[in-house]
Amino acid sequence: MDEAQDNHAIITKKKPSANQDISDELDLKIKKYLRGEAASFEDLKDRKLKRQLSVREELYGNAAKAAAKAEKWLMPNEGGYLEAEGIEKTWRIKQEAIAKEVGLVNLRNQYDIVLPDLGPYTLDFTSSGRYMAVGGRKGHLGIVDMINLNLIKEIQVAETVRDVVFLHNELFFAAAQKKFVYMYNRDGTEIRCLREHGAALKLQFLKNHFLLASVNKFGQLHYQDITMGEIVGNFRTGLGRTNVMQVNPFNAVVGLGHAGGTVTMWKPTSSAPLVKMLCHHGPVSALAFHPNGHLMATAGKDKRIKLWDLRKFEPLQTLTGHANTLDFSQKGLLACGVGSFVQVLNDVSGTQNYSKYMTHSMAKGYQIGRLAFRPYEDVLAIGHSMGWSSILIPGAGEPNFDTWVANPFETSKQRREKEVRSLLDKLPPETIMLDPSKIGTVKSTYREKPTKQEREAEVEAAVEAAKGTKLKNKTKGRNKPGKKIQKKQDAIARVKRPYLEEKINEEQKISHKKQKTSENIDLPKSLQRFARKKSS
Amino acid sequence: MPVTKRKHRDETSHRRGHSKPSRNAKKKKKTGPRLPSSLQKQLERLNPTVPIESDQDIDSADGDAAERDLLPHDFYEYEEQRAEEESKKNKRYDPGSVDNLQLPIDRSDESEDESIQSDDDNEDDDDDDGLKRTGGAADDDSSEEGDGRHTRMLQGITGMPSEAFEGKKKRKMKDDVIPELYPESEYNPSRDVVDGDGQISIDDLLNPLQDNPGFGKLRKRIQQIENNSKPIHAPLRTADQAKVERKVAYEISKKEVTKWQQIIQRNREAPTLLFDENVDLGFSTVGAIASEFEPRTEFERKMAALVSDDKVMEAHKKDGSRLLEMNMVSVEEEKDRQSRIAKMRSLLFRHEMKAKRLKKIKSKTYHRLLKKDRLKTEASKIQMDPEAAKEFAMKQERLRAEERMTLKHKNQNRWAKRILTRGLNSQDEGTRAAIAEQLQRHAELTRKMHSMKDSSSSSSDDSSDEDAGDSGSDQDMASKVLRKAIEKTKKVIEEDNETPKSGLLSLPFMRRGLEKRKEAVVEEANLAIQEYKDSKNKLENSVGSEDPETTSISGRRVFGASKTHISDAGNKVKSDYNYGSSDSEDDIRASKNGNIETGGSNILQKDVNSDSVLIQEDTDNHQESVFKDFNEIVKNPGPKTTYEVSLFVSDTWKKAKNRNEGGTNGKKSAIAAGPVRQDIKDTVKEAEEDSDTDSSGQMVDGILTAGSNLSYELPSQEELIRQAFAGDDVEDEFDKYKMEILNEENPEPEKPVLLPGWGQWTHVQKKKGLPSWMLKEHENAQKKREEAIKKRKDARLKNVIISEKINKKAEKLHTKALPFPFTSKEAFEQSMRVPIGPEFNPATAIGPLTRPEYLGVQYNECSDVFSELKKEEPYTKRNIRGGDREDRLLRLLRLLRPSSASVSGFLCNGRLVVCCPSHPPLCAGLLWFVLFGDLRRFSIQAVAVPRGEAPRLTSPRRTVPSLVAPGLPSPQYGGCGFLMEKADIYSFGVLILVIVSGRRPLHVLASPMKLEKANLISWCRHLAQAGNILELVDEKLKEHYNKDQASLCINLALACLQKIPGFERGDGS
Repeated sequence: MDEAQDNHAIITKKKPSANQDISDELDLKIKKYLRGEAASFEDLKDRKLKRQLSVREELYGNAAKAAAKAEKWLMPNEGGYLEAEGIEKTWRIKQEAIAKEVGLVNLRNQYDIVLPDLGPYTLDFTSSGRYMAVGGRKGHLGIVDMINLNLIKEIQVAETVRDVVFLHNELFFAAAQKKFVYMYNRDGTEIRCLREHGAALKLQFLKNHFLLASVNKFGQLHYQDITMGEIVGNFRTGLGRTNVMQVNPFNAVVGLGHAGGTVTMWKPTSSAPLVKMLCHHGPVSALAFHPNGHLMATAGKDKRIKLWDLRKFEPLQTLTGHANTLDFSQKGLLACGVGSFVQVLNDVSGTQNYSKYMTHSMAKGYQIGRLAFRPYEDVLAIGHSMGWSSILIPGAGEPNFDTWVANPFETSKQRREKEVRSLLDKLPPETIMLDPSKIGTVKSTYREKPTKQEREAEVEAAVEAAKGTKLKNKTKGRNKPGKKIQKKQDAIARVKRPYLEEKINEEQKISHKKQKTSENIDLPKSLQRFARKKSS
Repeated sequence: MPVTKRKHRDETSHRRGHSKPSRNAKKKKKTGPRLPSSLQKQLERLNPTVPIESDQDIDSADGDAAERDLLPHDFYEYEEQRAEEESKKNKRYDPGSVDNLQLPIDRSDESEDESIQSDDDNEDDDDDDGLKRTGGAADDDSSEEGDGRHTRMLQGITGMPSEAFEGKKKRKMKDDVIPELYPESEYNPSRDVVDGDGQISIDDLLNPLQDNPGFGKLRKRIQQIENNSKPIHAPLRTADQAKVERKVAYEISKKEVTKWQQIIQRNREAPTLLFDENVDLGFSTVGAIASEFEPRTEFERKMAALVSDDKVMEAHKKDGSRLLEMNMVSVEEEKDRQSRIAKMRSLLFRHEMKAKRLKKIKSKTYHRLLKKDRLKTEASKIQMDPEAAKEFAMKQERLRAEERMTLKHKNQNRWAKRILTRGLNSQDEGTRAAIAEQLQRHAELTRKMHSMKDSSSSSSDDSSDEDAGDSGSDQDMASKVLRKAIEKTKKVIEEDNETPKSGLLSLPFMRRGLEKRKEAVVEEANLAIQEYKDSKNKLENSVGSEDPETTSISGRRVFGASKTHISDAGNKVKSDYNYGSSDSEDDIRASKNGNIETGGSNILQKDVNSDSVLIQEDTDNHQESVFKDFNEIVKNPGPKTTYEVSLFVSDTWKKAKNRNEGGTNGKKSAIAAGPVRQDIKDTVKEAEEDSDTDSSGQMVDGILTAGSNLSYELPSQEELIRQAFAGDDVEDEFDKYKMEILNEENPEPEKPVLLPGWGQWTHVQKKKGLPSWMLKEHENAQKKREEAIKKRKDARLKNVIISEKINKKAEKLHTKALPFPFTSKEAFEQSMRVPIGPEFNPATAIGPLTRPEYLGVQYNECSDVFSELKKEEPYTKRNIRGGDREDRLLRLLRLLRPSSASVSGFLCNGRLVVCCPSHPPLCAGLLWFVLFGDLRRFSIQAVAVPRGEAPRLTSPRRTVPSLVAPGLPSPQYGGCGFLMEKADIYSFGVLILVIVSGRRPLHVLASPMKLEKANLISWCRHLAQAGNILELVDEKLKEHYNKDQASLCINLALACLQKIPGFERGDGS
């Protein structure tokens, strides 16, 4: 499956040098699997806990080592890129030149399908990259098996199709049609009509959460749970019509690009966007997320393509150029398509400084509608106004696949098993957040201080309760009304006391703080140098 | 002294007669001084007798060293003897007579006449009573008669007992020569013995036995005792003794417990605990220990020989009839034993009951003693500990305050009034005493008060005194005096004005009270001043001359000025404080100040009407000008000064004062409007500040808007162009939107709004603007908002809005608090960072990562029940119904079986006893399930015997109250605070008895049963001894039980209930 190995001549492989220390490599991998440093045990006072944690750390270390070793043996294939020699430039290498060098199997991935009547076409791959769904604007829907290039099913729905998307496996796909979103199975049978979505312009499927997300003509964002069918979220973006939508594969946050140049990020449990950022001065035309979730590429009508660091929400790189569609490959190549021209960018140095890697221009008049890298393959699929094409982009796909994650050669039994398993592991929608690694951490519930009135009411209630308590009848002599009254008053005072104490404490704290600040402020500037410095 | 002397004599005689070893000398060693060897040698030279003695001693058992030790003592003794014998009694000192002295009784009788001359045994004539010694001695001796009289005289004068003077006399008596009639013997004790001074030593008793056979042995023994003798102390108090015992017991038990420490620590730190059948627990059962027992001592060997006697063993092996024969007990013996046991039992029971009762009783004496103890400790504490002393002082203070508050001593309360109306005479003694006490207290307090007052000099008293004084003097003097008086009164008032800022007196109600009182005082003072003035005016009129100094104005001026100073200070403090304090405090302070000042102004108005008008004018002027323009004031203070100059031409100093005063007055009236200083500079400054605060809201706004503006860098040409061609102003729009979002998520505080005319006249409001507290509040809110905005994640990001909304649904994905052992968030989160699921880890790593805390066998097949269970098919709901009773029980047992505890159980009477002792290192304790007969009700009782920590009671349907009864823990092991295996065995025995009999271990009060039956254990023992164990079995069972099984169970229980530890069997056997 990795054509990278076959492309010997032009594609010189970037092999690990023999001198490279294996243990170094292993250490790096171990570090990756350790997922960060352990907290220092030094400041822990509990000896038992310290011991337990150190045992745990040891276990983690062993596990990481085992994982690193397993990776070494189980993922033997290395990805490779085009490398230019001398004056050569990688982007001058044409597809024809590549075609001469690759084997037959990979040669089959270079093709153009010309369907001029029902275009422009949009595409979607299953997560294993085996199947592709195509949707022609004029109502042409189809599923293609990409290994043997078989057309599995082809239907004509006889109305506008704006987007197609596979659901959790190749058996089902959804199409955004003229008025509603429809779900079809592999045989082309319409299973559901999802009316709530309305005239959706773009569809996305969140495969870990089994959510189908869509944005419609009115800028409404819908989330629908496809297992139970309930609408999980329905939000008005309030930013107008848009067909720029992409899911961040890392945290399942949906990004939308808007006409105002803003990009918003959404989760199904909040009506307000998690993040709203102004990315471009013109309308946003395309949006893509890097598989690791930290990088976002946006293209605007202001002739800029920007790369954003999503951890800091700052632009990393600004390139000039238009793009109607953007896509990141598994290895992090960025494909931009505009008009009939495709450009692939790559960060050669690994510092997220993208530069031109490959280009491809289609026949004139073809309008590229959609670019999609095929998972686990070095293939870029292009949906355009005259059908769809496929070109080779060396180094695009992940060379090793994990059959537990995505198996291109899945049998039906495996598929069924996986379906059940993934359903069991389905994540609830509230797990979608900007930083999912925060799940399970301590977050004390933010409790606002009770207002004055609330506090008073509380005190009053407590006093009432104290008043209401019935006193026991004591023996003769100890049952005087005076004593009873005294007792009641005592009880009330006792009840009030904690509140008063609390109040006093608070006041003291405030006054203390204020005094401190005032001390700092009070000193005139000329005298400040004489002030005693704070002991740190 | 006489004792030692006599001893020495004895000793010498012994030595000569029988060459006795020097035990007495040794004994004396303790009393004599120790001398260096050189001195000793010298002594040897000087004193030839000593070496002779020691020579004689050489043959004795003691070595040289002992001899050397002897020397100084001998010398010590020797000197004394010398002093007595040689100086006074040398004539009568006759070694022969001493020999006679030591003769046995029969001979001493013979030599009575000889021994007449023997030394100081002069008291034998009155051998009957030693108590009358002194009197007798005085009567006997004419020489001593004078002494006696003298003593009596002394007694009469000093009132001290005659013994105090005895010493002298005795010495005299010793010095006197009194002939002795009888030799000293046990029948005829020496005088000092009879006197009570001397002690009868063992020697005294021994000497007469000298010739008896066995004397040598006796002597040796005594010598031994004396050699090893140590002083025996008086026994400790029982409480102390118990304390010591407890301490020791604690130490021992601690040591016992620390044995386990290693194991516990190991288990604590182990990531996984393994409970295996074959785990070596590190300690064996009682049976194992017993089997390893080997007789060592003679007694043990004898016992072993008896126990493992061939005959007995054989008898054991056989049917046991032989054993019975061997164990033949006579009827009397048996009866005797039974009666003894019965007695013991009843005693035990009585003791139990008594202890119970005693435990409840807390008598008056107990409380009295308790109180006494407490008081004593407190008193000692106060003396020792300064802290406690302080506390005590505080307490006293509090008592005093209480007294002052309640004024109980004043006889004003209802009770006192009623008693007084009824008349004291009609009351009983206690009441009268109480009233008397109150009166006394009152008197005391008033006395105290007067003394206090005198020192602090009250104004009215003073003035009245002065008045009285000046009535007679001439007028000049009078006026002076009056002036003085006025000044003094004013001073007093001023002094009063200083209000305390802390402590009890600063409490609001106290302050109010003080203020009221102060007002009263001020009024009084005013009246007094008025009076003085009147009288002075009269005086002045009479004189006709006017003193410029003594004008009331000046006086008032002075007063006013100083007053303003004080109030100024107060105000300054206040205004300073304003910035650091909450508004409410500020208000209180302000109002208080106002009160004080109004008091002051009252005086002013009363005193000087014309002047007050002037001042009013002045202040009005000032005030207005202040609010018009501060600069103006700065510019033209001139006219005002001139205005004032026209009034007070004399000195400029007063002008300044006056102006000051005006200022303060103005401030006084304007106090609510905000701090305005009398000093113009200050006011200007203040005004600036005010304006600051006024504009601060806008300023804050400015900052806020400028926040984004500031982050703008100067746009470059390119950017400008780009912006120009961008079509629409997206950035501005975005900024606006961000502001909106910020406002939404951190709402801006409302601007302070004042209702026109609310609380004040509109024109005043317009002048003063908003009250300061409102501004302050607004400012605070603004600040808070700013901080919140600064803390936002997107605070530094220009074109990004990150929502800060909290998602309540996602809250369940976070832990709310740190889990127990963790103390830092960081440590916890770091420990959770690595996923442990099979998706994320290679198969080899998952096992150790997810290994459970406990691993172990499911159950222990220690009894047949479980082998049966094993054969059976797994429990289902269907098959619990079928089968006979026992089968059902088994199935139920299966249902109950806890997962990780080894379980053993047996059937008893159709009742199932299951015991699941958990692993001892876990310290979880034994868990017992006892199932009572009726299965349909599923009534299950769990009995838990705690070991270390609380047991976990589990039953399939509900938690049943535990049956832990007072009789459960074993007396041998229960007392030490923690329970061990043996205690469990004991408890197990009790439990079996409980099950079989269906009664509680101690079932006394609730039933009219025989007392014998009250204690289940003793009853069972009793029955066992009587031989009818089956009487113990629950009566409700009637005859429907297996008698063999029942007796087996009871026997097992009895085996567990052995009183002597080590004989009970392990519960497995």
